[in-house]
Amino acid sequence: MNLELTDEQVALRDTTRRFLAEKAPISGHVRELLDDPTGVDQAVWRGLADLGTTGLLVPEEYGGAGMTMVEAGIVAEELGAALHPGPWLSSAVAATRALTRIGDNETAGKILAGIADGTTIATVGFLDFGNTASVVEAAGEGDGVALRGEIAAVPDAAAADVLLVLAPDAVGAGLFAISTDTSGVSVLPERGIDQTRKRFRVTLDDAPAHRLATAPPDAVAAVIDDVLIANAADALGAARAVMTMAIEYAKVRRQFGQVIGSFQAIQHLCVDMFETVELARSGVIHALWASDAHGTQGDERHLAAVRAKAFAGRLAAVGDTAIQVFGGIGYTWEHDAHLYLKRLLSWSGLLGGPDEYLTEIGARLAKRGLR
Amino acid sequence: MDFAYPAEVEQFRAELREWLSVNLTDELMAARRPADRDHTAFELLRGWSRTMADAGWAAVSWPPAYGGRGASVLEQLVYTEETTRARAPMPLNIIGLNNIAPAIMQYGTESQKLTLLPRMMRADDIWCQGMSEPEAGSDLASLRTRAVRDGDHFVVNGQKIWTSLGHQAHWCQLYVRTDPDAPKHQGISCLIVDMTLPGIEARPLVTLNGDTDFAEVFFHDVRVPADALLGPLNAGWQVATTTLSHERAGAARLYAEMQVRLEELVDDFATADGGRALDDPVTLRRLGEIALRVKYLEVLCQRSISATLHGGSENAAFGSASLAKTVWGEIGQGLAALAFDVLGTEGGKGRWGDYRLTSRSLTIAGGTTQINKNITAQRVLGLPRK
Repeated sequence: MNLELTDEQVALRDTTRRFLAEKAPISGHVRELLDDPTGVDQAVWRGLADLGTTGLLVPEEYGGAGMTMVEAGIVAEELGAALHPGPWLSSAVAATRALTRIGDNETAGKILAGIADGTTIATVGFLDFGNTASVVEAAGEGDGVALRGEIAAVPDAAAADVLLVLAPDAVGAGLFAISTDTSGVSVLPERGIDQTRKRFRVTLDDAPAHRLATAPPDAVAAVIDDVLIANAADALGAARAVMTMAIEYAKVRRQFGQVIGSFQAIQHLCVDMFETVELARSGVIHALWASDAHGTQGDERHLAAVRAKAFAGRLAAVGDTAIQVFGGIGYTWEHDAHLYLKRLLSWSGLLGGPDEYLTEIGARLAKRGLR
Repeated sequence: MDFAYPAEVEQFRAELREWLSVNLTDELMAARRPADRDHTAFELLRGWSRTMADAGWAAVSWPPAYGGRGASVLEQLVYTEETTRARAPMPLNIIGLNNIAPAIMQYGTESQKLTLLPRMMRADDIWCQGMSEPEAGSDLASLRTRAVRDGDHFVVNGQKIWTSLGHQAHWCQLYVRTDPDAPKHQGISCLIVDMTLPGIEARPLVTLNGDTDFAEVFFHDVRVPADALLGPLNAGWQVATTTLSHERAGAARLYAEMQVRLEELVDDFATADGGRALDDPVTLRRLGEIALRVKYLEVLCQRSISATLHGGSENAAFGSASLAKTVWGEIGQGLAALAFDVLGTEGGKGRWGDYRLTSRSLTIAGGTTQINKNITAQRVLGLPRK
């Protein structure tokens, strides 16, 4: 048992952190892109690719680094801490894992190579697979296949060159790749609570598609777990960052002739945030490890992903508490605290609220008790 | 990043599990609570300590010279996990084994080590620790029990409270003030006191559920031989802190205990009223919340140990350990409340009724949650003292 980061992992963390602080700060990058549907600044995206972060999970044979979810989690945490608005989670985690877990063939390899070198941005449109609100049907076969239907809440569709979707066809459920610049694909922004997250309703009207592979349900579930776990790492970064800002503020803000951080009431709020962040970190590192170490034993990975979602409500409270510590200044648009709270809230709301997931954990336990 | 334990540690686990499956009887599991009013239960627990000691399982962290196995930190962790999950009773001398013995090994004379430690391990002697006082609770360093040197003796006067098994003990590791003029942390010494000495009176302290696990101990002109001093004169605070820093692998008890309680609660929900409670989504959500936190507590404890073993920062290890205690208390109280709320009248009786009351102590004993938060705020987060 060794839960410490290796020297290489620390270097990856520090390099990513430094790059984002210099090239993609909140003021000057994140805020500039709040109303931009892509969230992409070409120079920043190129920089992230040059650091190797877009290809972390891409196998080496396709030009990636062939690393594990632990490394992906390290980068995700830094991106969350910097409120990064770009499509990294969609391209470097969601699409990459879909392609490596499901669509292992030549076309998939080409897309993966593009993801790794940063020239292709991909996203997935099946995170809520099984939800009746999103239904896609496939017609035709081979190169003539076309997709029709609507998918809600697709992340980063405006930035993406390639959209991966699932659709039932004659053979089963297929994983399809669609070029977003072809006719028959329309993308409508869905405004959520968090402007650093770009989500869309995608309408497919006989959009020409390429069938990559048959998608076994277990593999689809595993990809969704991967996405949840990486998102949890992003949220951990956001919570850590806003907590740190609040604690540093409490050390310098003076009222009644002393810094407010010397008041026990403020100290306890800070420790409450710290407790929540450290519990979240515990869950995230375990989940990141489980998503690779238990690649074949899906249950532990899935439970880890469910736990991460179930904890999201508590994690969002770190944003609330931070604003309380900041007081009035934290309630302004100008201050960054609200951007963090929104990032945490969007994670809490992603694919269902925490209560649903808490109940699922309880139900699993009950099943064991009744056996 | 690897959560798996090394093969030799898993081997150690398998060996212990095998031994427990043979030696841990239902009768012993039933005697898990130290029912000190019941002489039979007390003797049963004493017998358990001897059984463990004879097989070398009583004090695995101790060096072999004193009857231990020189177990590694991970082995100690696994030991705590397995004994807790198997529902083995806590050793009568748990405080002695974990907290007092390390101080004796570090500061004691060879004769103290050889005469005291084996008898402690076998529960031939019961040990208690005299720390808290009526006016020194959270502010432990302000303790006032005095020891004044008089020839070959110290003369001790004062009162201790919350002394576990104080009224059953043969020996007390006693913290006393030996220099009233020094700053409060620098005038404390540690004595090993024979509880049969004249002038010592131990009265059982009845706690809110009617139990008498604790005592108040009064010292009136007690003449303690000067060679009872453990560690240098006025260095008692260092002795006390050495004691506590040996405790890290014991953190496994925090999550293992909650795993056991959670399992028991689910079992009781499944049997009570035809398992109706487990159809209620609100109950399931609350169970889910607790199960989630128990898992995260487990990882938090593992992180603290990993930081100690693999060169993580001391602050990270301390921070995780200190949070773990707070989280453990919150989980226990949440679990007790859930049991009481769901089981209704049944929840007010038996073990859950008892736990609903005794779980109050989880955020008080061993340092209140509030003091713990103050320390974390100042030491880990760097917030200023007033």
